[in-house]
Parts: sequence; C-alpha cells; structure tokens
Amino acid sequence: MTALLAVANLNKHFGGLHALRDFACTIQRGEIVGILGPNGAGKTTLYNLLTGFIPPDPGARVALDGRSVLGLPPHRIASLGISRTFQLCRPFTGLTVLENVVVGALGAQRERGADLHARGRELLQRVGLAGREQVPVDVLSYGDQRRLEIARALAARPRLLLLDEPFAGLGSGEMADLSALIRQVHAQEGLTVVLIEHKLREFMSLVQRVIALDFGAIIAEGTPEAIVRDPAVIEAYIGRDAEAPEAAHAA
Amino acid sequence: MILRHRLDLAAACAFVGAMAILPLVFPSNYLIGVLTVSAIYGIWAVSWDFMSGLTGRENFGHSLFIGVGAYTAGFLNTSFGANPWWSLPAGMLMAVLFALLVGLPTLRLKGPYFALAMLSGAVIMQRLMLIFWEHTGGEEGINGLAPLIKSQLGFYYFVLGTLVAITAVLLALARSHWGLILRAIRGDEATCQAAGINVTFYKIASLVISAAFAGAGGAMYAHYQLQVSPQLFAVVTSITIITMVYVGGMGTIYGPVGGAILLVLLTELLRRFGEWRLMVYSCALILILFFLPTGLVAPLWKRLRGFLRRRRAGTLVPVADAMEQQA
Repeated sequence: MTALLAVANLNKHFGGLHALRDFACTIQRGEIVGILGPNGAGKTTLYNLLTGFIPPDPGARVALDGRSVLGLPPHRIASLGISRTFQLCRPFTGLTVLENVVVGALGAQRERGADLHARGRELLQRVGLAGREQVPVDVLSYGDQRRLEIARALAARPRLLLLDEPFAGLGSGEMADLSALIRQVHAQEGLTVVLIEHKLREFMSLVQRVIALDFGAIIAEGTPEAIVRDPAVIEAYIGRDAEAPEAAHAA
Repeated sequence: MILRHRLDLAAACAFVGAMAILPLVFPSNYLIGVLTVSAIYGIWAVSWDFMSGLTGRENFGHSLFIGVGAYTAGFLNTSFGANPWWSLPAGMLMAVLFALLVGLPTLRLKGPYFALAMLSGAVIMQRLMLIFWEHTGGEEGINGLAPLIKSQLGFYYFVLGTLVAITAVLLALARSHWGLILRAIRGDEATCQAAGINVTFYKIASLVISAAFAGAGGAMYAHYQLQVSPQLFAVVTSITIITMVYVGGMGTIYGPVGGAILLVLLTELLRRFGEWRLMVYSCALILILFFLPTGLVAPLWKRLRGFLRRRRAGTLVPVADAMEQQA
C-alpha cells in the first residue's frame, strides 16, 4: 500500500534564504505526526508548500496517495483531501459560526445535496461550540476560533489534516480540551493528522512520531521519547534562550 | 427560499405595488420618467452589489458595463437597423465580454488591480468614444434610437418588472450556497482556498453575472433616452451607483434597489433648491453615511421587521429577534 503522503527532495528558497532544505518524509494512513522546530525553522513554509499556496523549487516530489499534487492550485489540493488550518486564525469574518463550517464543506463537494447545515451543527457540537451557531464569528474568543478552524477543516472530510500550531495562544485547560478533540477525531475517523508545534508538552503525549526541523532541515526523526533525548534537538532548543525553559521542562 | 419571512414578502409586494400605482395616481410624464430612471439605477445598483457587495472586491467602473450595453444597443439599432429587442441580449453579451476581458487577468490577483482596471477601463472607453468620433458620433454620441415600447408607461412597467425579476434572481443566488461562498471570499480568500473553493472562478463568474445585468440596464437606458453619449462611461456614474449601494446597505441585494430609488427621487425633490441642490444632496449623503455606516434602507427595514414581529408575537420572542438582527 502506498503511503498517504510521500514527500521527497522538497526545497524552497526565498531569495538567499534556504527556508526548507531537502525535506523528505512519508506519512502512513492513520498516523499522528508532529513537526517540531523552533520559530523560523520552516514549519509553516512546509505547510504552504504541501497545500500549494507557494510553489517549491524544481525537483520536488509531493504525492497524496500515490498521485502527484505538485503544481496544483490550493483549492484543487484541498478538494483532493488535504485540509489545513492557519497559524493565525483566519475565519470567514462577517459570517456566522455555522456558516463558517458550511463553507468548509462546500469546497470539497464530497456529498452533493447532503444536509450541510445538519453536519455543520454536528461538527460544532463535537468541537464544543454547540449553541453558538448563529453567533457572528468575529466575537468568538481566540480559543473558540481555534476550535472553529478545526471544525471548518473537518467539514471538508479530509484524508489528511494539517494543523498549524493549534495550541498557540491557548491556556492549559483549552490545550487539554483541544488535544482530546484531536485524539477523538483520530480515533473515530482514523483521520491522519500532522501538526506543527514549537511547544513540547501537549504535543509529546499526542503524536506517535516527530519530525524535528531546524533552519529548514530535518535534524531528527523518531518517537517523542527519542526526540526529547536527541542531542541535535536539545542543541537546537537549548541554544535559544527563549525556548530553553520549554525544552528543559519537556525533557 | 428567496424571502425568509412573510413580512419580507409583504414589504416587497407593497413596495412594487406602490411603484406601479404611483404613475396612475399622479399621471405625469415627468414622474414616469423619474421613476423609469430610478428603476434603471436600481438595476445597476443591485448588479453592482451582487459582485462587489458580496465579495468585497470593489468595482470602480460599473459604468464600463453600462456604456458598453448602451453603445451596443445604439450601434445595433441605428447602424444595423436591428429590432430594438435585440439590444438587450446583445448588450448583456458585450458587457459579459468586457467583464471577462477585465476580470480574467485581474481577479486572480490580490490587491487593488481589479478596482483600478475597472476604473481605467471605463475611462479608456470614454476616451475611445471621442477618439473614434467618425464611428461613434464623438461627444454627440448616437442619436435616433427606436424606443423599446412606444408607450412611456408601458416602458416603465417593463423596466420595473425587469428590476423585480433581476432582484429576485440575485437575491435567490445570494441566499444560496453560491452567495455564502461569495461572502466567505469577502471574509478570507486564503481560507476559502484551503477549503477547496476556486476563489478566482467564483469572483469572475459573479462579475460576469453583474456585468450582464448592468449591460441590460445600459441598453434599456439607451432605448429610454433614445440616444447614447460618452457620458455613459463617466466615472461619476460608477460613483453614484456605489453611493446608492452604500445608502441601501451593502451586500443585502434588496437594500441597494431602495437606495437607488431613494437617491434618484431625492435628486428630483431637491430641484427647488436650485444651485444649492448639490450642496444639500451632498450634506444629506454625508450625514447618512456618517450616522448610518451600514446604510439606511436595509438596516431600517430589519429594525422595522423586528418591531412588527415583536408586536405580533407579544414580546415573547426576544431570542428569535436577536438572531434575526444578525441575519
């Protein structure tokens, strides 16, 4: 069986900056994989490349289920089954919470004629936003916007869910809730999830495998337990004052 | 469903009924003329709102579509002697062509390129009408068009009926999944793409629909004035239409129709002020937009509707009412 996502030789230059260097990975169906790395390591660039928002340097290979998605526009890649969230929440302002989720389902068109509103309500219930369907999205708290982003991404019935720093800006209680939600989605639907994080704590108990990035290159790959003991990862994290307490805590 | 509430339907019927009865109660060619022009402006405003009001991509050159529709009518009717009824489909088709010409290259870009291209498109066409005066009649334009319907009142009813039909179609589209996607594009384009929506397609398609109806309105205007001139392409026409949409309530579709009719009538009512007219008109506009930044017509109707429902239901439905305020 082919891997769900197979990436090889993925490079990106922004002018003189080599933002992503020879990235390669394979992600199997049903995995939860974490992409770990300090700020500026190239994590979001990786997502933008995978989802077609920016083109990679020539020579790359990105295949979803054996089919190359290289050079396809973002909406095509999304409708093939890769859903993503954004690091800074980007809801559809001016729409209600429920409408946001419905729009998420409209693009994929997997279920023509299905009752999208009913499905939207069900998803909102699952992410803990039941009762807020008719609220304008602009008034949601940051944590609720994150839940909404995930509901919106799930509405497209993706095969692969890419979460970009889903825990950023959340309190510890909200983090635990969100982890539980991701675990639940993974368990119930067998959804393959990749998430980016630079914080270690929640992340470590959630993912099965970690790919650590620094300066655009993979520095380590393995189970969470192995990653936190990896000398290259420790060096990347301890070398930065701001990140040191986090890494020390996780280790 | 086009109309969400029975009250909406009642208000729409009352409004159309009033517009239809007015010229019968006060039979004067002047009033019929004013009402005809206001209904044509209504078509232009509602078609602008469908594209720009919903997607948030401002079109500063709606007069491009109007002028193209009108000149198409002029050429067809005078140079080729075509039946005036051909002007409507032909005007729509030519406007759609121009919409694709401007929209295809610019609507895929972020930034102000679409707005600027529309603005310059209208200005360029206005200049071209003067430069190629041998063919276009220059400043004089094209004269001697045949009327669509001989009777002035009959033509007014035709325009009013068209306005109602166009508004109904656009309202139905705006309240379908299509309209939801257009409003989502206004919210965030990148998220739309991430949700698998072909943002460029939806923007271009909505511009094409908008242009078709504006072109039809232009052709009607040509057969109303029985004359076309380069002034049709004037930037001020586009700005007037945008103002009407703002006064009506952007993105509400029915609001801009009210805004257009209101402002055309206001312009006429202010004639008694003579040279102070523009001053009074501008001050009224500034006051409206300053105190009611979301517009006058649609927000006012929503408030009135809420009030009427409360009256009817006793004051037992504050929740439904609050939800409606957001709708």
